[in-house]
Amino acid sequence: MNRVKQGFLAFSALFFSLTAVAGAGMPVRAEETAPAARDTMAAGTGKTVTLRVCNWEEYIDEGDWDQEEAIDLPDGTVFGENSLVQDFEDWYAETYGVKVKVQYSTFGTNEDLYNMLTLGDTYDLVCPSDYMIMKLMSEDQLVPLSDHFFDPSDANNFYIRGVSPYIQNVFDSTRIGDEPWSKYSAGYMWGVTGFVYNPNVLTEEQAATWTLADDPAYRRQITIKDNVRDSYFMAVGALKGEELTAPSLVKDPAYHQKLEDAMNDTSPEMIAKVQDYLQQVKDNVYSFETDSGKADMITGKVVANYQWSGDAVYTMDQADEDGYMLNFAVPRESTNIYFDGWCMLKNGIAGDRAKQQAAEAFINFLSRPDNAIRNMYYIGYTSVISGGSDPRIFEYLDWNYGADEGESGTVPYDLGYFFTGDTEKADPEHTLTVSEEQLHRQLAAQYPGTDVIRRSSIMRYFTPEENAAINQMWVNVRCYNIRRVPVWGWLLMGAAMAGIVTLSVYQNRRKHMAG
Amino acid sequence: MKFTRKSLGIPYAVYLVLFVVLPLVVLFYYAFTDGTGRLTAAHFIGFFTDPNALGTLFYSFAVAMVTTAVCLLLAYPVAYILAMSPLKYKSSVVMVFVMPMWINFSLRITALKEVLTLLEGNLARFPFLNAVVGMTYDFLPFMILPIFTTISKLDGALREAAMDLGADEKQTFFRVTLPLSMPGIMSGVSMVFLPAMTNYVVLDMLYNSTYIMGSLIGSYFAAYDWHSGSMIALILLGIICVFTLLTDDEEAGAQRGGALL
Repeated sequence: MNRVKQGFLAFSALFFSLTAVAGAGMPVRAEETAPAARDTMAAGTGKTVTLRVCNWEEYIDEGDWDQEEAIDLPDGTVFGENSLVQDFEDWYAETYGVKVKVQYSTFGTNEDLYNMLTLGDTYDLVCPSDYMIMKLMSEDQLVPLSDHFFDPSDANNFYIRGVSPYIQNVFDSTRIGDEPWSKYSAGYMWGVTGFVYNPNVLTEEQAATWTLADDPAYRRQITIKDNVRDSYFMAVGALKGEELTAPSLVKDPAYHQKLEDAMNDTSPEMIAKVQDYLQQVKDNVYSFETDSGKADMITGKVVANYQWSGDAVYTMDQADEDGYMLNFAVPRESTNIYFDGWCMLKNGIAGDRAKQQAAEAFINFLSRPDNAIRNMYYIGYTSVISGGSDPRIFEYLDWNYGADEGESGTVPYDLGYFFTGDTEKADPEHTLTVSEEQLHRQLAAQYPGTDVIRRSSIMRYFTPEENAAINQMWVNVRCYNIRRVPVWGWLLMGAAMAGIVTLSVYQNRRKHMAG
Repeated sequence: MKFTRKSLGIPYAVYLVLFVVLPLVVLFYYAFTDGTGRLTAAHFIGFFTDPNALGTLFYSFAVAMVTTAVCLLLAYPVAYILAMSPLKYKSSVVMVFVMPMWINFSLRITALKEVLTLLEGNLARFPFLNAVVGMTYDFLPFMILPIFTTISKLDGALREAAMDLGADEKQTFFRVTLPLSMPGIMSGVSMVFLPAMTNYVVLDMLYNSTYIMGSLIGSYFAAYDWHSGSMIALILLGIICVFTLLTDDEEAGAQRGGALL
C-alpha cells in the first residue's frame, strides 16, 4: 500500500469521526429551503410576499387523498386534494388579491428548532410546543399577534371565531411575567400524555399510572420517551402519586393550581429524587425510545408505551389495520396537557406589515373548520379549533366516533368543556353517543374526557438554571458512572491497554533492530 | 491566472477550510469560552472530574475495543484466505463482503433488530452485546478491505524465502506475513475503533439506553449547552489525534522496514 493511500485512509478515519462528532449535535432538516432573498420581492413593491414557515415534520395535511377518503358531513364534504400550503396560497391570492409564496420547512424537536434559530436561520412563523413558546417569549423573540387577529367580526378570522373556549382560556390564563400566552401565540394542536397498552396483558387499572414504567411485573416490556421533559413529568407523577390522588387534594377548590405546582416541582431535592427514580426505571424498561415505540407496540415487542395522545391515535389506527387491538390510558395521578402553537418571530417579520398579515392569515386559514378537520384526519392529533358557530368539528367527531344506529352498549361522552369551556356542567348538546370501547381507545386519546382534563397539568418552561440542573440529572441517568465499573472491568481494560502498548513497543523495537 | 497542477488542489483546499478548519475554530471557541465569551477551562476540568463523563468514556472505549477485536478476528482470516487463494476473480468475492455497505444503514440495522429479537427473545436483556453486534455488522467491511489489500500486495517471494530458509507454515505466518500486514491491520483498526466510539445511532436503534460519547455530545447540544458539548467533541478529537499519530508511526516504521527488506 503506498503512502498516499495510507494518508487517505488515515484522513478518512479522522473525517468519519469528525462527521460523527458533528452529526451528534446538528439538527436535522427534512426539507431544505434556501434562505429567502431578503424581501427583494416584498409587499412594498406590490408583488409577492414570501412567508417562511417552520413546522413539525408530518404535521400538516399534504393532500392527495383517495376518492373514498372524502369525509361526508351533514354540512359539507371535506376532502384534501392539494396540500394545505398550496390551498393557502390560492386562498390568499383570491381573498386579499396579494400573491404569497410559502417556504415551508420542518423541524424534529423543539430543541432542534431553537438551535436552528440560534444558528441564524430566519423564519416568520414557527410552531413550537408550549414550553418553547414560553422560552421564546421570555427572550423577547416574538411578535405579538395584532388586534385585528382577535376581531371576531371579520369573517376571515377563523381562529378567534373557532378556537375552543377551553383552549383559549388556558392560553389567556397562562402568563409569562405579566403577559398572557395568547398575546403571542395561536394554538394549533394539543393533547395529553399517557400509555398505549395491550389490553390482553394489562387492564386499564394497571396501565393508568405513572409507576407502570417501574413495575417489575413488566420488566423489559415497556418503552418510555427518550426525552428529558417527558421523563421528568413521569417521574414526578410517580413519586408524588399518593399526594396527588389523595381525596383531600382532589376535593380542594384550588386543586388544579396545587396540582400544577406539584407537577412543576424543580427543587434540588425533587431533581435528586427523580434521578434515583429514573435510574431504577432505566434498569426496568425495555428502552428509552425516540421514534421506535409506535412500531414496537404494533409488532408486540412491548406491552405498553409512553405516548403523546396524537401518536397514540396513530399507533392504535395502525394496529387496527393489522387486526390488533390496542388501548390508551391516562395516568390517574396527572397528565401533561401540551400545546403546539403558531408564533411569529421578530427577526423574521422584521416589522413588515404585509408579511405579518400573511402570517396571521396562514394561522386563520389552518383554523378554518374544514382545514382543521383535514389536518386532524391526516396527522391524528387534535386541533384546538372547536368551530364556534360552525358545527362541522362536532359533526366530524360524530362521524368518526359516534355509535351506529341501534348499536347496543353505548355510553354518552360529554365534550362540553371543549366546545363551551365549562369543565363543570354537563352539556347534552355536545355529548356524543359512542360504543363503550371508545372510552379506552382513539376517542379517549384524541378528545380526553372531562375527568382527564381536570387532572391535567401544563409543564412550564424551566429557567436556564433549572434547565441545566435537570439536564445534568438526565445525563447522569443515561451515562455509565465510572464508579459502577466492576473490578474485572478495570482489569480487562488494563490488560487490553497493556497489550496494545506492549505490542506497539515490540513492533518498534523490531523495526529498530531491523533498521 | 496560469493553470498549474497546483490549481487542481484549489477545490479541495476550499473544502478543507470550509468544512474542516472553520468548524474546528468554532469548536475551539465554544469549548474554551463560557456564555459571556470569556476564556475558561471549566468545561475541560468539568469533563475530567465528572464520574458520568468519564464512565461514558470508559463505556465507549469498551464498546469500541470489543467491536474492533471482534472485527479483526472475523476479518483477518477472511482477508487472508481470500488474498492467498488462487481464485481468479478475487475482487468480485471481496465485493460480496462489501456489498452490505451499499444498503442503507438504518435499513440494515432495522433488519438486524428483528433478527436479534428472534434470537434473543427480548433485546433489552443484552444491551452491550447488541451494541457490539450492531457495530460489527456495520463496520466489518472497513476492516476487511485494508487487510485484504495489504496482504494481496505482499511480495510472495518473501514467504518463499522464509520457507526455503526452513520456516514452517506457522513460523512463516507469524514471523513474515502477519508483521508485514500490520499496516493494513492498523488502517482497519483506526477505521473501526474511532467511529465505534461515537456511532450512537446503532445503540439507539438496538435499544441500548446507555450513552456513548456521541450521544453525550448530542445531549449537551439539545440542552443548549454548546460549550460542554464542544469540549467533549474536542477531547474526543484529541484522543483520535493521539491514535492517528500512533498508527502513523507504525505505518512509517513498516514502510522503512519494508524498504530495507
